[in-house]
Amino acid sequence: MNIDLSRRGFLRLAGAGVAATSLGAMGFGDAQAAEEAHVRPFKLATTTETRNTCPYCSVACGVIMYSRGDAKAGDKAQILHIEGDADHPTNRGTLCPKGAALKDFVNAETRLTRPRYRAAGGTEWQDISWDDALTKIARALKDDRDANFVAQNEAGTTVNRWLTTGFLAASATTNETAWLTYKVVRSMGILGFDNQARV
Amino acid sequence: MTIELKPDPSMIGGIAKVPLVRLPDPVALFRTRAERFRFLAGHSANLAPYLHFLAAICDAQARVAQDLGPPSPLEPAWIETARASRMPPIDRARLKPDLGRALDLLLKQVADIDMPAPSRAALEAVVAANASDRDWLLGNVLADQIPEDSVAPHMFVAAAVQVHAALLAATLDPEKLVPIRTGVCPACGGRPVASMVTENIGAEGARYASCACCQTLWNEVRVKCLCCGKNGKISHRSVEAEDAIIKAELCGDCGHWVKLMYQNRNATIEPVADDVASLGLDLKMRETEWTRGGFNPFLMGF
Repeated sequence: MNIDLSRRGFLRLAGAGVAATSLGAMGFGDAQAAEEAHVRPFKLATTTETRNTCPYCSVACGVIMYSRGDAKAGDKAQILHIEGDADHPTNRGTLCPKGAALKDFVNAETRLTRPRYRAAGGTEWQDISWDDALTKIARALKDDRDANFVAQNEAGTTVNRWLTTGFLAASATTNETAWLTYKVVRSMGILGFDNQARV
Repeated sequence: MTIELKPDPSMIGGIAKVPLVRLPDPVALFRTRAERFRFLAGHSANLAPYLHFLAAICDAQARVAQDLGPPSPLEPAWIETARASRMPPIDRARLKPDLGRALDLLLKQVADIDMPAPSRAALEAVVAANASDRDWLLGNVLADQIPEDSVAPHMFVAAAVQVHAALLAATLDPEKLVPIRTGVCPACGGRPVASMVTENIGAEGARYASCACCQTLWNEVRVKCLCCGKNGKISHRSVEAEDAIIKAELCGDCGHWVKLMYQNRNATIEPVADDVASLGLDLKMRETEWTRGGFNPFLMGF
């Protein structure tokens, strides 16, 4: 603390000279002490607000997700509330009814959080690893494409069509993901290609 | 011919952009603040003496604002220059010569307030201060740098500066202001007391920071540190309850925290009064590694 010597007279008159809080310096130290005693047993609760994009459609509204605990600090976080992000240029804080119900979507007991498989003709869902799931899907695609791929039409023109499989892409993707999706799907010859983003 | 298509959310009922600032209505603002202090005093037996004292100070500020009346507005050319160079139009470093009257009036208005001896001593010292001491006090307050060993005399001076700066801010045209930098008041360059998530029509959920000097409210992006402008390591702390109306927004990058008040959930929240009345949060945060970043001449030293 750098005390300006020329201020000594003033500071002495003002009763100053010792570092103090506003309450202490103004003569309300008892009030501060009482409040200190009052809050001593309380604990600080940690919450976070995190920006994200609504996953429903291509409008890609900004949302703010309120959580208990700080996942970035290693806590187990739980979402308490989700609302529109007022700073987001797309929706300026607004949300459609589906977006406004996102919290229940995130916390739903029936939410799918791992790959599951129901055998053809079966009635029960069973857990399956990602590797097995992707292998199964790739196998089914390959078999269908091998059986039904149309390289040339009746006139002998090369068309490279695969009409027996369709592809529905999701909306909450980056431009890069969308570009890759398009390239993968079209390069296999799939024509039935749509995007959930069109809803 | 090409037509440029731009999203226009106003077509669906919202508005495209929230106002950058809400300028103060000084007399009403200080009166409302005084009322809020009194209300909060009724709900906090511990802090009531201090809150009642500050209510009386705010009453005095309202009377001074009324007596002073609107000052002559800043030169339009000056405002344009500030705007062009992205600077706040109110240059606080040059306010000193105009502040004498506000300070004299305020010192007169607060003289009859019932106050503890240390406050009285500080007040009398400010009343008796010579030109050099007054200049020093005003300089510190205008620079948002209050020496930690002389908080009390600076509090009275800050109260006067708030009135003058608010009156001056009220003369500005909001359209002429530009964002300066995160955590800096676009009207006077001051620091925020706290920020509030508001629920006004047209700005639902938008955050406004409250200037500790000129009382302007200005829009800030949420979940962003008002001290350093970073947003990667923001989290919140509240006393006990997770749905608290007042939380500490802390930044892992710069180690500071500033109060965040959910005015959208309690419309009567007043940033300065509620900052003081939520002292419990400061006391709990003082036990942590984080440093208070909010600036309030009524709540120094935490």
